[in-house]
Amino acid sequence: MTAQQNDLPFYEPAGNEIDLFEHAHRNHLPVLIKGPTGVGKTRFVAYMAAKLNLPLYTVACHDDLTAADLVGRHLIGDGATYWSDGPLTRAVREGGICYLDEVVEARKDTTVVIHPLADHRRVLPIDRTGEVLHAPDNFMLVVSYNPGYQNFLKGMKPSTRQRFLALRFDFPDAAREEAVLIGETGCDEMTAKRLVSIGRSLRALKDVDLEEVASTRLLVYAAILIRDGMDTVEACRASLVEALTDDLEVAAALDEVVLATFGR
Amino acid sequence: MEEWIGGIWDRWITQTARRDHPEAAVHLKDIEKTIGVLFRALGGDAGLRVAAAADTTHGARRRLLERIAGVHERTAHAALDMETLRLPPRIAVFPAPTFNRDLYIWLAAVAGSAGPALAGKYAGEWIVRNQFAAWVTLQRYPGLMPRYRRLVDALLAERIAPEKLPEDEAAQERAVRQALVEPGTVTELPPLTRHKAKPLQPVPLWLYPAPPSVAAPRKKDPQPGEAEDNEQPKEQQAENKRYQANRDELPENESPMILMWRAESIFSWAEYLRVNRALDEDENPDAGRAAESLDQLTVADGEQRVASKVRFDLDLPSAAADDLLVGPGIPLPEWDWKRRVMKPDFCRLQTMVAREAEPQPLPERLRRHARKLKNQFAALAPVRRWQKAQPEGTEIDVDACVRIYADRLAGWHFSGAGAYLNHRPTERDLACLVLADLSLSTDAHANDEQRVIDVIRDSLMLFGEALSATGDQFGFYGFSSLKRNFVRFHEIKPFDRPLDAVARGRIAALKPGYYTRIGAAVRRSIQLLEMVPANRRLMIILSDGKPHDIDLYEGRYGIEDTRMALIEAREAGIKPFCVTIDREGAGYLPHLFGPAGYTIVRKPEDLPDRLPLLYAQLTGNA
Ligand SMILES: Nc1ncnc2c1ncn2[C@@H]1O[C@H](COP(=O)(O)OP(=O)(O)OP(=O)(O)O)[C@@H](O)[C@H]1O
Ligand SMILES: [Mg+2]
Repeated sequence: MTAQQNDLPFYEPAGNEIDLFEHAHRNHLPVLIKGPTGVGKTRFVAYMAAKLNLPLYTVACHDDLTAADLVGRHLIGDGATYWSDGPLTRAVREGGICYLDEVVEARKDTTVVIHPLADHRRVLPIDRTGEVLHAPDNFMLVVSYNPGYQNFLKGMKPSTRQRFLALRFDFPDAAREEAVLIGETGCDEMTAKRLVSIGRSLRALKDVDLEEVASTRLLVYAAILIRDGMDTVEACRASLVEALTDDLEVAAALDEVVLATFGR
Repeated sequence: MEEWIGGIWDRWITQTARRDHPEAAVHLKDIEKTIGVLFRALGGDAGLRVAAAADTTHGARRRLLERIAGVHERTAHAALDMETLRLPPRIAVFPAPTFNRDLYIWLAAVAGSAGPALAGKYAGEWIVRNQFAAWVTLQRYPGLMPRYRRLVDALLAERIAPEKLPEDEAAQERAVRQALVEPGTVTELPPLTRHKAKPLQPVPLWLYPAPPSVAAPRKKDPQPGEAEDNEQPKEQQAENKRYQANRDELPENESPMILMWRAESIFSWAEYLRVNRALDEDENPDAGRAAESLDQLTVADGEQRVASKVRFDLDLPSAAADDLLVGPGIPLPEWDWKRRVMKPDFCRLQTMVAREAEPQPLPERLRRHARKLKNQFAALAPVRRWQKAQPEGTEIDVDACVRIYADRLAGWHFSGAGAYLNHRPTERDLACLVLADLSLSTDAHANDEQRVIDVIRDSLMLFGEALSATGDQFGFYGFSSLKRNFVRFHEIKPFDRPLDAVARGRIAALKPGYYTRIGAAVRRSIQLLEMVPANRRLMIILSDGKPHDIDLYEGRYGIEDTRMALIEAREAGIKPFCVTIDREGAGYLPHLFGPAGYTIVRKPEDLPDRLPLLYAQLTGNA
């Protein structure tokens, strides 16, 4: 769970997000990152953790995740019980970034523990042990969510939202996305350009012909397959076309987009 | 005997003379959806629909044999305007089906990536425009190059060679060949010099000027290279003038040819065309316009409607014979897509109830089916899920027990958490409004015994039984329209009344008539749904999905207004869903309803079965 120090993971910045994150960290402010899937939210947090030399505790939230899962629980062993810290508690005790991914998925009672940590108090009360932990200077809370998935029952409460600095991640522009593909996979420039062009064509179909559109992650997959010597069109079919639609006619059209770009 | 020989000769000569290859034909209807998606992916406007182009007489030279056999005098051109991408209903230019398919793909790619540059109708510049479009397309999608080459090579082999043509026609043919082989190198089409010269042979790789939107069926399209004749209908002359004006607005000293090769001006040039086209306004629909629209119904356009019936129905029934009007009309806005403004109080919607609707029991023939549906729907339990750490429940929550036990051992006794798993249905709390299109198009036959309206009636009867079993709140309404001041909104079963004999009587009394102003009906349905206390709201629209009225409500205008109304619905937290029984409309349904917002029932008689099923799917994970 702890990111390796020293060697930074590859991250291609979009704007001033690195700077903003550093300001937030220096001033003990929590950060919320929102954006569609696969555009580098997780990667960014990993990068920042390494850059700031902080351990990273990532929790993928789901709808059965309770406050107790974050804080910790009593375990039984050798006829006695002992307390085991949850990821949030460990981050507060030892310092570091606690990253709650897809935070809107978590159960409502998690807000109870997040709120006092995410404002000026910066405390984590653990009712079961009676402790009240004060977060050290190098503790930072980061949450992320994908506004697209959010159904209207699962929005984020304003009282939670307004405790965070917010950063919006979006599909990168063409030049940056090419840089991501090259940096991430070492593919050649032409391949990167073409994959990005395909990605952008497919994004034009959002909400009309496709429910979900190609993320940078999928383009990375395609680039990896191509770099590995796979036929470009086959690679795109597996990583993009079939990943995005089950409709045969739509898939045929996406195939044509790939062909129009890579050609035969 | 003579006749017999004549027949054989006829068949032989026709087959021998055919330059197309029917055995290799690819039909638009088979790849229409794929073409549409590709067009949009490569940059095409999602509001356009893909439709079959009508055949026109091209007047070009044919081979002797073709003339004898009387084949190849007509052809369907690909064309693009602000509303429609027209493609030939079938392509059989090449002997191999893959080539014919590739030609469709090419046309969609050009229309999508270079569409705006082609939107004008300049006959003289047509050849330049098409080279430009091909160039842009190949620049942006280099992968198309090998295919383009293959198509051009194959096409040149199919065309009459310049050596076999009179001098002036040969010059044109050479220019076209060069333009195809090296797009961007031909600045103009050499003029025809002889009086009897034939226009150019059709160039299937190119987009042609869109036919005037209200074409008299037998009127020839303006042909590239053809002298403009002055007998054009007034409307068309006006259009030509407009294009003339556009040209004057282009920066001086910059012929399109120069603009063409300066990459950064590509888009600015495209913008010219866009902006100018948007001036095409007609906000005060007069009788002439309405009559024109009617004429359009008679044009063989793949839109099969019965024109005589339409005309007949234009006369409103006398007030005494028409359904009862309830209350004063309700003013509703309408969206003007060209000016991008909402026109307040533009429409008037009239709620109506059937006048002679005898209360009715469920028709005998539907009873068995209804009983089955009722059982299915009553059993269709709303989704259940296990809830953890509940104070009571059917199963022990081992995880919670261990946790409580450990807490106790550690001296912590205040756990309020329960130790059970409970399987509880989540509440549905759902309201569904069904909005049925009652316009004249529902008078069409669905199959040998039933008309579309009959199918809609049966569907409503059965769906009502199914809905009653779920306990969800629901309302049935129907709509049609006769221009903006008379949107007819039929109350069939309001939310606050049960589905009883009265409602069934009203269902039975539904009759087709008038037109389809969907936007206004959707806006009224939003209002009604918002009055129902429910957590989730669903609007099911039963329609061919084709907005159409006899004033300006048609084509792109109608589509964009409908789209806007649906956006308003989503903003109000309502999920709109369209069930259509018309294949033809499928092209723009994604634009209106989104990828998962509609379904097409190919066989109308399936609708009564499909509707309840669909509802179960739509609301299953409520
Ligand atoms: N700016 C970037 N720099 C480097 N790599 C990137 C960048 N953006 C995206 N990627 C690539 O895309 C992949 C997916 O990114 P990541 O896992 O961070 O997405 P995410 O936004 O967290 O998505 P999700 O919401 O699905 O969790 C990464 O593994 C990386 O290969
Ligand atoms: Mg992530």
